Amino acid sequence: MKRRTFAAIALILTAALSATAAGKKLVIFSQCNNGEPYRAAQNASFKALWAQDKNVTLQILDAQQDNSRQISQIETAIRLKPDLLIVAPNERGPLSEVMGKAKAAGIPVICLERDIENYDNFTTWIMSDNYAIGKLVGQYIVDYLTKKYGEPKGKIVDLRGLLGVEGEVKREAGAFDVLKDYPNIVKVQEAVANWMQSNARDRMTEILRAQPEIDVVYGHNDPMAVGGYIAAKALGREKQMIFIGVDGLNGVGGGIEQVKDGILAVTFVYPPCTNKAYEIGEKLMNDKTFVPEKQYQVESSIVTPDIAKKIYKAK
Amino acid sequence: MAVETEAKAKKGLLGAGLAFEGLRQLAGLALIFLAAIFLSPRARDNGAIIFLTQANLTDIVRQVSENGIIAIGMTFVILTGGIDLSVGSMLALSSTFAAKLLVQWPTTGDWTSHIAIIIGLTLILASTFGALMGLAISKLKVQPFIITLAGMIGLRGFARFLTDNANIDIGFGVDITAAFSNSISQKPVVMLTFALLAIIFFVILSRTVFGLQVRSIGDNPTASRFAGLPVTRTMIITYAISGFLVGIAGVLHAAQNHQGNPNDGVSYELDAIAAVVIGGTNMSGGKGTIFGTIVGVFILGVITNMFRLKGVDINVEMMCKAVIIVLAVWLQMPRARA
Repeated sequence: MKRRTFAAIALILTAALSATAAGKKLVIFSQCNNGEPYRAAQNASFKALWAQDKNVTLQILDAQQDNSRQISQIETAIRLKPDLLIVAPNERGPLSEVMGKAKAAGIPVICLERDIENYDNFTTWIMSDNYAIGKLVGQYIVDYLTKKYGEPKGKIVDLRGLLGVEGEVKREAGAFDVLKDYPNIVKVQEAVANWMQSNARDRMTEILRAQPEIDVVYGHNDPMAVGGYIAAKALGREKQMIFIGVDGLNGVGGGIEQVKDGILAVTFVYPPCTNKAYEIGEKLMNDKTFVPEKQYQVESSIVTPDIAKKIYKAK
Repeated sequence: MAVETEAKAKKGLLGAGLAFEGLRQLAGLALIFLAAIFLSPRARDNGAIIFLTQANLTDIVRQVSENGIIAIGMTFVILTGGIDLSVGSMLALSSTFAAKLLVQWPTTGDWTSHIAIIIGLTLILASTFGALMGLAISKLKVQPFIITLAGMIGLRGFARFLTDNANIDIGFGVDITAAFSNSISQKPVVMLTFALLAIIFFVILSRTVFGLQVRSIGDNPTASRFAGLPVTRTMIITYAISGFLVGIAGVLHAAQNHQGNPNDGVSYELDAIAAVVIGGTNMSGGKGTIFGTIVGVFILGVITNMFRLKGVDINVEMMCKAVIIVLAVWLQMPRARA
């Protein structure tokens, strides 16, 4: 009997770890994957933002990059009838239906960053345009090479994220839609490094063996650009080319620090969209007459070394 | 003589143990159920215990059904003393295969029969791969861990190869894919499928010669061979059953997720194995029941739901589940050995 009593106590103790405060408004954020730095930054930002409103309890659910899990988590969240549901969907197809169920249950649903299949299934979509960021990158490359050679020409290496993902597709299309007008700017090689620094380092090492001349390395996110830099540095070639990243996270190890330290030439901020989501979310909860736009776009910005030095914060 | 007595004693213990163990697992589930009621948040409009609402309870059944169906097959496999690591990849393959056929195979007759044929083909594919693994295990005498590990890698590769690594979204718009996912993703359909399969395979395991053979092989493979049991055939059928059930889970998965995704199902084998061992099945084979496995599935499902309703961090949830798995198995060990 002792064993079972022990088991019961252990169970209740572990389960009682967190308590929901009564009487407060409930905001639930369904995050597709806490394991990526960009998303960790989103979570931290939301925690800080909603800590300002003492009348709100924020719950964050981590789906660990699993569609089924995110669907189940949202399903359970609906039963709690939160005052606001924010979803960063893992994928546009699978999450569509369950977000519609939440909206049908009378819960305001903010779709964050990625979109879903059916636009009727969210109240509003707060996003940043990866295609626009890609175009900024393309234009930066044109300007840089024109300055370097007196005309737009040069050799580019392209380090790509997980193929088929919206961010990857648009960051690629945006940049190369600009570059296709400059026939002397050539992509000499590309590699798929799945957003990972370690993969990018390995692929870049192979590319460096094959390509004697490289002017620009475009990493579709900062970690991949840094991976490319590490590979070039190992072969003593990092000064021959520049490294461009996207994401521009602040804090230790983020892209802004890498630009400040001269590892990346430049990065483009992919905004976490959390400030806007907080602003709209608060209005949705507190102002019954407020009718949001169907879509809000948060603009990107370039981070040069000068800007990085100004805005960098360790924490 | 001594061996005979020992065997008799073991059988007696086993029989009594099984009945008792079923109760023990139920008691475990009841305990967790009570904890979930006790800890459940109240609805803020009418004060109802959210955990006990019909909507939430049926959510749990729907959410565990895929794992439950896989765990039924896993129980058979583990009872033979084996393991099936390939189920996650098999789920990805079957859901991708079904989605690919739905999207790319032109409809000939009416939609219902077309969908039925596609589901049938998917189940044949999954059962065949399962049977092949069973054949390799019994004929090549390579450990199930190795063969199904190879299956895990190879089937994942095959699933990705089929779609060129892309996901196939289905069920948006007015076409056969929508008919498929809208009908099969219905909560009652999913729950009924799970319930029916649980009953059917409960009967197969506990009331048929085949079920007895499965347990005998796990209990003592060498003796079973000498006793003239059809070991090879039993192994092939066992792994084919596992494949077949994963195929069904894969079809449900595709319908519910509106997608065939070759990268889905990662670590599903571990969830299924966890449910099986919590349900009291011995990892070395021979001893275990479908009833126990279903209870194990619900123990995990209710705990997950309890944590989600409380908004507990998923990492904390994982740590707690680890403790619960060890605790559950430890509690079920025969008293004499404790």
